[in-house]
Amino acid sequence: MGGGLSRTLAVAANTFRETVRERVLYNLLFFAMLMTLGGLLLGHLSIRQDEKILKDIGLAAMDLFGTLIAVFIGTGLVSKEIERRSLYPLLAKPLTRGEFFLGKFAGLATTLLVNLSAMLAGLLLTLGVTGRGVDAALLTAVYPTFLGLLLVVAFAMLFSTLTSSTLAAVLTVGVVVVGRFADVIRGMREVLPGVPQQLVQALFSVVPNLANFDFKNRVAYGEAVSGDVLAWVTVYAAAWTALVLGLGLASFRSKDFQ
Amino acid sequence: MTRALALALLLVAPLVPLSQQRIDRLAGAFRAQEEVLYLWSGEHVKRLVPGFEGLAADIYWLRTVQYFGGQRRYESGKSFELLRPLIDITTTLDPRLEIAYRYGAIFLSEPPPFGAGRPKEGVAVMEKGVEALPDAWRLRQELGFFHFLFLDDAATASRILLEAAEIPGAAFWLRTLAADLLAKDGDRAASRRMWTQMFEQAEEGIIRDNARVRLEILDSLDLADAVARAVSDFHARHARRPARLEELARAGLWRGPLVDAAGVPLGYDVETGRVSIAQSSPLWRPQ
Amino acid sequence: MSEAARETVLVTRGLSKSYRTGHIVQGRRPALEDLDLTLLRGEILGYVGPNGSGKTTTLKLITGLLRPDRGDATVLGEPLASRAWRSRAGYLPENPYLYDYLTPSEYLDYVGRLFGLAREKRRARSRELLALVGLEASAGLPMRRFSKGMLQRVGLAQALVNDPELLFLDEPMSGLDPIGRRLVRDLILGLRKAGKTVLFSTHILSDAETLCDRVAVLRAGRLVRVGSLSELLSLHVTHMEVLAAGVASNAPGLEAALHVEPVGERLRLEVEERALGRVVYAIEAARGRVLSVQPVRRTLEDYFFEEMGAAAAGERAGPSRVGEWGEG
Repeated sequence: MGGGLSRTLAVAANTFRETVRERVLYNLLFFAMLMTLGGLLLGHLSIRQDEKILKDIGLAAMDLFGTLIAVFIGTGLVSKEIERRSLYPLLAKPLTRGEFFLGKFAGLATTLLVNLSAMLAGLLLTLGVTGRGVDAALLTAVYPTFLGLLLVVAFAMLFSTLTSSTLAAVLTVGVVVVGRFADVIRGMREVLPGVPQQLVQALFSVVPNLANFDFKNRVAYGEAVSGDVLAWVTVYAAAWTALVLGLGLASFRSKDFQ
Repeated sequence: MTRALALALLLVAPLVPLSQQRIDRLAGAFRAQEEVLYLWSGEHVKRLVPGFEGLAADIYWLRTVQYFGGQRRYESGKSFELLRPLIDITTTLDPRLEIAYRYGAIFLSEPPPFGAGRPKEGVAVMEKGVEALPDAWRLRQELGFFHFLFLDDAATASRILLEAAEIPGAAFWLRTLAADLLAKDGDRAASRRMWTQMFEQAEEGIIRDNARVRLEILDSLDLADAVARAVSDFHARHARRPARLEELARAGLWRGPLVDAAGVPLGYDVETGRVSIAQSSPLWRPQ
Repeated sequence: MSEAARETVLVTRGLSKSYRTGHIVQGRRPALEDLDLTLLRGEILGYVGPNGSGKTTTLKLITGLLRPDRGDATVLGEPLASRAWRSRAGYLPENPYLYDYLTPSEYLDYVGRLFGLAREKRRARSRELLALVGLEASAGLPMRRFSKGMLQRVGLAQALVNDPELLFLDEPMSGLDPIGRRLVRDLILGLRKAGKTVLFSTHILSDAETLCDRVAVLRAGRLVRVGSLSELLSLHVTHMEVLAAGVASNAPGLEAALHVEPVGERLRLEVEERALGRVVYAIEAARGRVLSVQPVRRTLEDYFFEEMGAAAAGERAGPSRVGEWGEG
C-alpha cells in the first residue's frame, strides 16, 4: 500500500508540475487578479455596499476561473496522455491504472487549491488594503466552491476516458450548466404541474446539484456558513465525486490502448 | 468493473440523497442564487444574455415562483424582499409574460403575512404590464381593480375600467361597474364583483386561491354585518347587548352558524356591539 | 548450454487479440492469433515481420496496454496481469512521446519514483543513464526541443532506470542516425553481456542479423518461424562465388557455372556447390588461377523475400522496399 501511495503521489506531483508549466494557467491567474482589481474601481461607483461588490466579484471570479480550469485542464488530463501516448511507457511500470488515474486527479486538485488560495489571498489583500475588514468568513464560501470544482474535475476525467478531449469538454460544460440549474429542475412541478414526480426525481438525481456549493451571496452579505452545513456539503461532494471518479476509473481500467 | 469498486460505489451512493436532505434542512431548500440584485437590474441581465432573453425570463420566472414558495400552496409566512426585483428582471427580459405582472402585483399588494403589503409597488408592476401589453384587457381591468381594492381610489379605478372596456374582448359589464364605483356606497358589492371576476379568470393555483379567500372574507363580512344587525335588535329588545353571540340564537334572533368562512367564531365586542372577523382567523385582514 | 537448461523469462500461450473494425457494420480483424513464444534468459530475440503482422500488438499485450482476447503469458515467473514482474522489466514503446515540459533528468526522476527508488539513487541512476545514451549535455533542457533521435535515446534510458532483467524494445533504432544506432547496438550487446534478456521488434533486418541470437518471424498475426539465425539460414547456402584470373569467360567447362561475369581482368563466377569441382578443374585446365572461393549464404532479406514475398500478392501489405519493412 505504501508503494501505491507513493506512486500515486509521484503522478500527482508531476501533474501539478505540468499544470504549473502550462502557460494557460498563468493567463487565468492574471485575469483573475485583474478582475479583483476591477472590483476596486466598481467600488467607487456604487454608492452602497462596495465591499459586497468586491467580495461578489472575487468569489465569482474564483468560481468562474476555477470552473474553466477544471473543465479544460481536467478533460486534458487523461485524454492528452492517451492521444499522445505518453501514457504507454508509464503503464508498463509497476504503476497501476488506478494509481495513475487518481494521481492525476490529486494533481489537478492541488493546482486548483493553490489557484483558489492565491485568488483568496488577493481578495483579502485587496479588502485589507482598501481599509475594509479582512473577513475570515470568506473561507466558508471558498471551501464549498473548491469542493464543487473537484466534482467538475471528476466529471471531466470521466468523460475524457470515454471520448476525445474536445467532446469531453463540451459534455463537462453541459454538466456544469445543468448542475447549476438542478434546483430549478427540482422545483419544476411548481410551474409545470403536469410533470410526473418520478421523472423530476429521476432527473434531479442524475445531475449534481451544484447550487449546494454556492454560498457566495450569503457570505458576501457577511453571514458565514455554519459548520454543520459545511460538513454535510462535504459529505455530498465526497459521495458524488467518489461515484464519478469510480465510474471514470472503471472506464479507464477497461480501455485498450490500440 | 471490479467487484470491490462496484461494491464501494454502491455503498457511497446513498450518501448523496442523505446529505442533500441534511443540507436542505440546515441551509434552506431553495438557495437559488440570489443575484447581486442591486447591481443586476433587468436591463443589465438582458444585456448579458443576447438571444436568450426568453429562456432567461423563464428561468427567472421559475426562480421567482420557487423563491416565493410555489404556485400551488397558498400559505403565509413568506419573505418578499426579492419579489419586486425578480419580477422586474423577469418582465424586462420578457415583457409579454402576463402572469408575472399579475403574480407580482397581487403579492406585493396583499398585506402581510400573505403579501408584501406594498400596494403602490404592486400597482406599479401592473402599470408596467399594461404599458407593455396594451391589448391585454384583463391586465388593465385588474389594474383598475387594484386601484380600488388596495389604494381605495375609486375615481382612478373607474377611469381605468372605462379604458379597459374599450379594448376588444373586454367584459361587457365593465362600463356599468365603472359607473357603480363612482356611487359612494356599494363598495363591497363592487369588491365582490372584482374578486369574482379575478377568481373566474384565474387558473388553479395561488392566484385563484387568493381570490377565493378574498371572497370568503367578503362573505364573512356580510355575515358579520347580519349578525351585527341581530345584535342591534337584541339591544333594542332587551336594553342590553348580548354577552355572547350565542344568546342571539337562544333569543330566536339568529339561526345558523356564527363562524366565518374559515370556521373561526366571529369576533364580538360587547361594549360597542361590533361584530367582525376574529383576529385569530386566517381571514382577518388589517383595515 | 541446452535450451532446456536455461530459464525461461517469458512464455506466451495462445495469446490472441483482434480489433473491431468498421463504424456501422462492425467486423473483427485479428491482429495476433495463438502466439506461443518462449524467451530464454540471456538471449536477444529479434521480433520481425511486415506491416500489420502483430509485433507491436504483442508488446502491448505483454506490457498491459491491451487486454488479450484469449491466452495468457508468464513473465519472469509471474502471471501476465501481476504487477510484480514490472519492477524487473523495462519497455520502450515505438516512437515514444515523453512529456515535453520536462527535462530528461526530471523525466527519469519521475520514472524512478514510480519504481520506488530513493532520491539519491534516482539522481545517480539518471546521471548514469543519460551518460550511457550520450545525452549528458542536454540533461537540463526541456524535451520540447529534442529531435526524434534524442527522444528515442531518453526513451531507452527510461526503460533502464530500474536495471531490468528483461527488456522489451519496440523499434529501438527508429529515428536514430548512424551514430545513434551504433550506440544502441553497443548498448544492447552490453546488456546481453550483463546477462539481461532483450526482446526487440524491428524492421531493420541487418540489425536483427547482427544482434540476435534467435529470430521470431510474424506474418499476419501468426508466428511462422522461430529459430536461431543459423537454423533459419544455414540450410540455404545458395551458391559459391569463385574469383578467377587468367582465364577467358568462354573457356570450356565454365558452362557448368550459373553465371560468369568479367570484373576487370578477373572473372567472377557463381557456381552451384555440386558443380564447384568441375569449374575449378576447368579453370585450372585453362591455365587460370582460382583466387578465392566463398559460400554465399542466404541473408535474412532473401529469406523474407522468399517466405513472405511469395504470399505477398495475396496479403494486405508486403515488403515495400528492399531490406526494410514499415511498422508491424
